[in-house]
Amino acid sequence: MALPLPRGLTPAEVAFTCEMELVTIVPRQRLEALELLGGTTPALVPPRRANVALWLALLLKRQRRANIVPPPWLLPASLSAVLEMETNPAVEGFAPTPAAPRSGGAAASPPFLPSCTADAPRNALPYHWLEVGEMLLEAAADDFDDPDAVRMLLKDLHEARGAKVRAGTQLLDAGGVFKLNGVGGMEVAESRGFVVGVIDGLRKIGASREQARREQEEEEGGIGGDEGDDDMDL
Amino acid sequence: MDSYYDVDAILTDSQKVPCTFELSVPGLGFLDGNMGGDMKQGTKVELPLWLAEMLAVSIGHTKLMYSHSSASAAVPSFTSLDLPSALSNRVVAALKADPRTVDLRAQAPHFYALGARILELFDEDEIVDVLSETFKVRVTTLADQAHNPRGATGEGADFLRGLDETERKLFRDAHDGAKAVRTWLAESAKKK
Repeated sequence: MALPLPRGLTPAEVAFTCEMELVTIVPRQRLEALELLGGTTPALVPPRRANVALWLALLLKRQRRANIVPPPWLLPASLSAVLEMETNPAVEGFAPTPAAPRSGGAAASPPFLPSCTADAPRNALPYHWLEVGEMLLEAAADDFDDPDAVRMLLKDLHEARGAKVRAGTQLLDAGGVFKLNGVGGMEVAESRGFVVGVIDGLRKIGASREQARREQEEEEGGIGGDEGDDDMDL
Repeated sequence: MDSYYDVDAILTDSQKVPCTFELSVPGLGFLDGNMGGDMKQGTKVELPLWLAEMLAVSIGHTKLMYSHSSASAAVPSFTSLDLPSALSNRVVAALKADPRTVDLRAQAPHFYALGARILELFDEDEIVDVLSETFKVRVTTLADQAHNPRGATGEGADFLRGLDETERKLFRDAHDGAKAVRTWLAESAKKK
């Protein structure tokens, strides 16, 4: 109770978890394969493209040993297509996440799915879209054709989707089902406190009705059961 | 959340609700400003919720005490509860018309918590519906204003002043979440 830590991950923690995403780089220097705890990195041979973890890519980029190839969904054309989808009132929910490959097997969930590499699907936002986008823009702005346009589009998308999350509270019922399909990691971290609070508040208001419903169900169950209840009363 | 140490729960329970005494109680007149006198049957007093609830639902106990007398059936409990003014028909009608314009804080500082407690005692399906609907509509508005820096000072000021404690907490949550992300964005920009 005394811990002032908020529930869930802070933005910095979310950004940290997304550093394991694979991104595509074009190395400028040769680098042997590194045997790390998390696995072996591919041997880097310029100018052959390679997929490495985001943290390594950022490190190499800062040391000017590599260039980063932005994932296709982070290009202005794809981002504006997604933004159009988000702002279209006819489209329900959020823009789709990239479809999982059917042959993927057990490992085909976002962290292990190469969703930020050069061959990632376009017109769909992966789970870590905001974090990866921002970090790439900060570290490797010169690898984008038009970094300012990308920055603007990311900001617009963030706002449009944030407004959608907030508007989603109106569709809540006492059951407290809140559909967050397609919402990214950073967005979840941003609205966690609020959404959880809203659901909790609704639950409290509806608590008396829920209680009555349960009692009624129990009663009906008792009538449908045996006559043991009557004996108990006597 | 209903922890023993929850200040909000304590404050909720100390909000006044109107009650009518069904019995004359000797020596309780001080509740009605009648020092040292008796509480007359039929007197209306405003009692804190925790006391009013105890007096109103202590039916089993009263029955035990009076079980030997023939009047046991006619003695329901010490007091009967009424709906507090915060949940009166007037307020409910206003909430139905437009939840956003009602100053909930003026009705009761812990409006929703009070509503939830009252609904445990009363069986009012309509109020459950109105409260849930109100909560949803207002929460969406306040979330928008929590994200909009102008919202708190400009045209939204009146609305924000009328938030009850639950809504204030939500406002803070929504604001803190957005602020944390903004801080992270600014910091990652600085690192470069």
